[in-house]
Amino acid sequence: MPRPEIHMITFTVDGREVRAPENAMLVDAAKLGDVEIPVFCYEPKLGQPVGACRMCLVEIEGIPKLQTGCSTPVKDGMVVITQSERVKEAQEAIVEFLLVNHPLDCPVCDKGGECPLQDISFGWGGGRSRFIEPKRHFEKPLALSPLIAIDRERCILCYRCVRFSQEISEDYQLILAERSADTYVSTFDGHPYVAPFSGNIIELCPVGALTSQPYRFRARPWDIEGAGSVCTLCPAQCNVELTVRDERVLRVLARQHPGVDDGWLCDKGRFAYQSVHVDERITRPMVREGGELRPVSWERALDEAAGALGRAGAQSAVLAGGGATNEEGYLLQRLAREAVGTPHVDSRAGGGPGRELAAALGAPALQATVPDLEHAHAVLVLETEPVDDMPIVDLRIRKGVRRNRVRLAVATPRPSSLDRNADVSVRYAPGCGEAFVAALSAMLGGEGKNVDELASSAGTTVEALRGVTGVLRGVEVGEGATGSDEAGPRDIVILWGERLTQGRRGAAAARGLLNVAARLRLGGREGAGLLEVPVAANGRGLREAGVLHDAGPGLSEPPHGEMAAIDGLELPDGLARGDLTTLLLWDAEVDAATLAAAGTVIAHAAFLTDALRAHATVVLPAESYAEKEGTVTHPDGRVQRLRPAIGRQGGVRPGWQVLADLMARVGATQDPADPGAGDPRVLTGPMASRQLFEAVPVYAGLTLEELGGRGVRWPAREQAAAWPRADAGPFGLEVPPGPVKANGDLRLGTFRSIWAGPEVGHSPALRFLVPKPRVEMAPADAQRRNVTQGDHVTVGHNGAALHATVVLRDAVPRGTVFVETDALRAGPVDVRKAPPRAGPPAPDPAEAPS
Amino acid sequence: MSTTTASNGERAQPILFRGIDEEGLHTLEVYRRRGGYDSLKRVLDAMSPADVLAELQASGLRGRGGAGFQMGKKVSFMPAGQMDKYLICNADESEPGTFKDRELMQKSPHMLIEGMIIAAYAAGANRAFIYIRGEYQAQADILDAALVEAQAEGLVGERILDSDFELTLVVHRGAGAYICGEETGLLDSLEGKRGNPRLKPPFPANQGLYQGPTLINNVETLATVPHIIRMGGAEYAKVGTETSTGTKLVSVSGNVQRPGNYEVELGTPSREIIYGLAGGPPEGRTVKLWFPGGSSAPVLTGDDLDVPYDFDALAKAGSMLGSGAIIVVDDSVPVVAVALKLAKFYKHESCGKCTPCREGTRWTVSMLERVDNGLATPMDLDIMASVQEQIIGNCLCVLGDAMAMPIGSMVAKFRDEFEAHIEAARTRNPFGDEQPSPDPVLVQGAAA
Ligand SMILES: Cc1cc2nc3c(=O)[nH]c(=O)nc-3n(C[C@H](O)[C@H](O)[C@H](O)COP(=O)(O)O)c2cc1C
Ligand code: SF4
Ligand code: SF4
Ligand code: SF4
Ligand code: FES
Repeated sequence: MPRPEIHMITFTVDGREVRAPENAMLVDAAKLGDVEIPVFCYEPKLGQPVGACRMCLVEIEGIPKLQTGCSTPVKDGMVVITQSERVKEAQEAIVEFLLVNHPLDCPVCDKGGECPLQDISFGWGGGRSRFIEPKRHFEKPLALSPLIAIDRERCILCYRCVRFSQEISEDYQLILAERSADTYVSTFDGHPYVAPFSGNIIELCPVGALTSQPYRFRARPWDIEGAGSVCTLCPAQCNVELTVRDERVLRVLARQHPGVDDGWLCDKGRFAYQSVHVDERITRPMVREGGELRPVSWERALDEAAGALGRAGAQSAVLAGGGATNEEGYLLQRLAREAVGTPHVDSRAGGGPGRELAAALGAPALQATVPDLEHAHAVLVLETEPVDDMPIVDLRIRKGVRRNRVRLAVATPRPSSLDRNADVSVRYAPGCGEAFVAALSAMLGGEGKNVDELASSAGTTVEALRGVTGVLRGVEVGEGATGSDEAGPRDIVILWGERLTQGRRGAAAARGLLNVAARLRLGGREGAGLLEVPVAANGRGLREAGVLHDAGPGLSEPPHGEMAAIDGLELPDGLARGDLTTLLLWDAEVDAATLAAAGTVIAHAAFLTDALRAHATVVLPAESYAEKEGTVTHPDGRVQRLRPAIGRQGGVRPGWQVLADLMARVGATQDPADPGAGDPRVLTGPMASRQLFEAVPVYAGLTLEELGGRGVRWPAREQAAAWPRADAGPFGLEVPPGPVKANGDLRLGTFRSIWAGPEVGHSPALRFLVPKPRVEMAPADAQRRNVTQGDHVTVGHNGAALHATVVLRDAVPRGTVFVETDALRAGPVDVRKAPPRAGPPAPDPAEAPS
Repeated sequence: MSTTTASNGERAQPILFRGIDEEGLHTLEVYRRRGGYDSLKRVLDAMSPADVLAELQASGLRGRGGAGFQMGKKVSFMPAGQMDKYLICNADESEPGTFKDRELMQKSPHMLIEGMIIAAYAAGANRAFIYIRGEYQAQADILDAALVEAQAEGLVGERILDSDFELTLVVHRGAGAYICGEETGLLDSLEGKRGNPRLKPPFPANQGLYQGPTLINNVETLATVPHIIRMGGAEYAKVGTETSTGTKLVSVSGNVQRPGNYEVELGTPSREIIYGLAGGPPEGRTVKLWFPGGSSAPVLTGDDLDVPYDFDALAKAGSMLGSGAIIVVDDSVPVVAVALKLAKFYKHESCGKCTPCREGTRWTVSMLERVDNGLATPMDLDIMASVQEQIIGNCLCVLGDAMAMPIGSMVAKFRDEFEAHIEAARTRNPFGDEQPSPDPVLVQGAAA
């Protein structure tokens, strides 16, 4: 549904003429005239107003009763009065009513000092109470969940938290129990409120009824400072405000960016700040001595690292990942290409399509924005589970479906939490995304004869495909959508997971996706396009900074000419063959076997994994995002600025500085005659940013000031014309290899839960959510193998095997199992009952929803 | 129940209660023998929805559920166009003192069903529900049985009486909440949600059940529809007064000798109903106060007995006709007891969604308990009066007003008695050890 048009009207509030968008709610319209109408329950983020608290009563000329300003749309010529005796009386009455049962334990209340109830009582209340009866009592405080405490006496029953659970995150867990003054917020049967977005209710609560367990009693508003930055724990890159007291991050709040996060955060983003301050964090450089990693000085660590890289030269490989900034990416590829002299640079451990195709997929004319998801005619979610891969986008999709009737198609191997909201959900075999997009493209192109074959090689059906094209083309599902698009192009957004284009056939899958986009005529269409969900939090930015084996900054031709570069996917082979000996990992993770194969491993990391502990030669401490400065690029092309909220912990140094030092050192070893040879001349973070902006043509002319707190979407800038031209299909597509027929007749699909990642495991408050290894399977498949819910099994695959607990899910297609792992790749797999282990099995943590 | 129609001394014909006690009237056979479903047949054979609407408008029929809104006007608000549209019969009848719908449904279920089909036809609705209060189990069973008969005879369902008109009808039982009689609370409840009132606008006619256009009327309103068709709207409008047309079922209860339902022509003097029909208070007692339109109506006193019983005269007297339930309180009953009982009802039934009602009802109960126990002063009566004023007009729905108006009127009209009550109770309870019990801890929470 296209965005509504806005008409401006003129109305009068307290005697002032004010211009406002027609049908804006009075409380918002009044603000434009600098008139504040107090509210408690009104929160436009939550959808339709409910009119519960009655705090916003105002007088409107011509209407006898007072009206709620939060639910009255402003009209041309309306005359609104907020200062009359009548309004004042009503406001004082509501404040008095709200306070009669309120404990007013402000001195021990976390909300004190930043409490709307305090502010409104002060600003609009009568300042006295006539209430002498006993107040309502509840047991308090209670744990609503391990993350949230609830004090029901302080609750003013504004409905915000319940509406969030019911209508925003749609986890349907919070309800109001009982009625009248006995009403209270609860889950249905008192179970803990555990959900991916639960923490938002703390921020929504206008009083101290819902407080953060980790933040409780840690600080007062006058003790703290707010620092705006960007969360880099996933590609959603939500805008956050870090609450800092004495150089410690104590809390993370949303910083409300409609173009990015819509003002929400997931619980990972909200609570994983704890990992910044835990003892397990690496805060000093380390070098392996006598078989063990030992803390050393920076000089020593840098010398060792530079020495190793310099010696290995073209036998070194550099892999970046995670939340590494654009600046770090840029300097990293310079380090590799200019100083070390190796072409083996990548930011995609799983590989991906080459430069041309990457450029076509990232072409500015083909990029959808996050808000497009909410206003599109149709959205296709392809090979990604938003709530796990880019959580905040899950809420945006739900919003579009619920409020704007966006039609939703979901195409994934694993059952999706969006299935319930989708007009059509189709499953295809894990690892067969390429065949699926080829089939979809054939369907859209009306290539009937191909469709059958492609559908079956994707492990799906023609009917399923027809359902998807029906949703995309706006034909009623079941009405037999044809390949034609008589109705003309529509605003369609394809939200696709980078996993689709990983692997050896990534290029073919990319071509398929580009074909689909071309056939839907998404290119150059406002409100339509592709939106990628990269694997790494700054996946897009790192590519644009030039951290690709076949492309330099801005996806330019790489400087190393004919030298064939080894990409992330081939890295293990390169090491095994001996073509590579030395590995520099910059916030990137690879498996233990790969590390073991490298002679020298230099890792820039925040936490030691078992693999690093066993195989790293040099470890350089990495900044947390709370300490970083620089830029990252959102999947929709928005360049966003990180600002340090706290000083770096322990001996941590800025990433750009470490890289500059390494370059200088390696340069010096390469050319003893010129000691300054390798010096990149980066003396400050902003200098690194400036170099980046100069090097990446589509970032040209950006400044940190311009990025400010909101970022800039480069595809919307003039300079976007500098993006390399690339062919965007249609391409001729081949029929890809069909779904693997396993001997054990089970296929393995993998996924990564929102709760994966070291920051979750290292945050005490979140640790309970770290998923236990589990294998999801269809009940019928389980029955045939004589295993059932909760059984311990081994999931075997090409000799590799892992232990997991069986989780039965009706929605899992037969013949497929899903395991949360990065260790195994899609393929045939065997599930066997594990031999009984000693002792009782560890209890499952609170069912981690996914 | 005995049924009589009275009009300014003359007797007029009953309309709804004509032969209501006839054996077997609840069966289709008897109902039809007496001319039942003839109106429906006439409508489907010879009238367009617009014709029906015109008759309803000519009849001047005002809603019998409480607000007294013209039914024809409400039907006319239903938007045109092809979509699911709904008709809901509000049979929640939870207003204290009101029990007229019960008798209608129990004795003549087909009258309601016929009225609903005709109303649905006029409103263009294709789906209808009877939302009946949970406690009316027997009446729900009777309605269900009648519905089965009607369906078997092709009166409900597809192609009703071989016309193109189609209507599904479902009887849905509530779960025991007064607030679910409020039309938007009813909608949420019917949708399977917690029964909380919604903000209006949007009004149900535009966005009601499942966001579709919805017409909601009271049982009595809908049961009157076949009679309007039979008599003709203009003829019906001749009964009653100019602005309160027709007859009204009045439930009379409290301190009267012959409590029950009476059908009266609107405009009948109230004294005629309370004394003439219901026999007045027992020998030797006088009317202290009376609620003319259910417990939500501001009270009137013995001085107001000559007010004509119709919408406008009662409004002019400072009260309302409401649901048409007269509760009589004689001089043997302390006004404080009446107020406390009433306030407790509303406190219990408040849905708790909006602040003034949720907190105001609880506060009022606490204050009245103190008044009753002698722990109050006359100043508390001022606070109580002011709290009622703070509630009135400031709530999301009118449940809050429904307590505040009668309580406010009692405090205003019987201030002396309240003060005397406080004095007497204080003498009885000088040390305040007869304490109103504070609320216990309400819930033991979830995980500790
Ligand atoms: C708290 C509350 C309870 C109500 N209960 C009933 C009820 O039980 N039955 C009823 O017909 N109307 C009830 N109403 C009135 C309805 O909201 C609505 O006005 C009525 O059903 C409309 O029908 P009518 O136009 O035929 O009167 C109630 C209103 C309120 C505010
Ligand atoms: S919620 Fe606000 S008003 Fe209530 S105790 Fe806390 S700080 Fe005070
Ligand atoms: S807990 Fe907070 S957000 Fe929830 S209803 Fe109460 S006051 Fe509102
Ligand atoms: S007035 Fe009372 S019943 Fe009506 S919405 Fe408000 S709290 Fe609920
Ligand atoms: S803000 Fe308007 S009713 Fe709560």
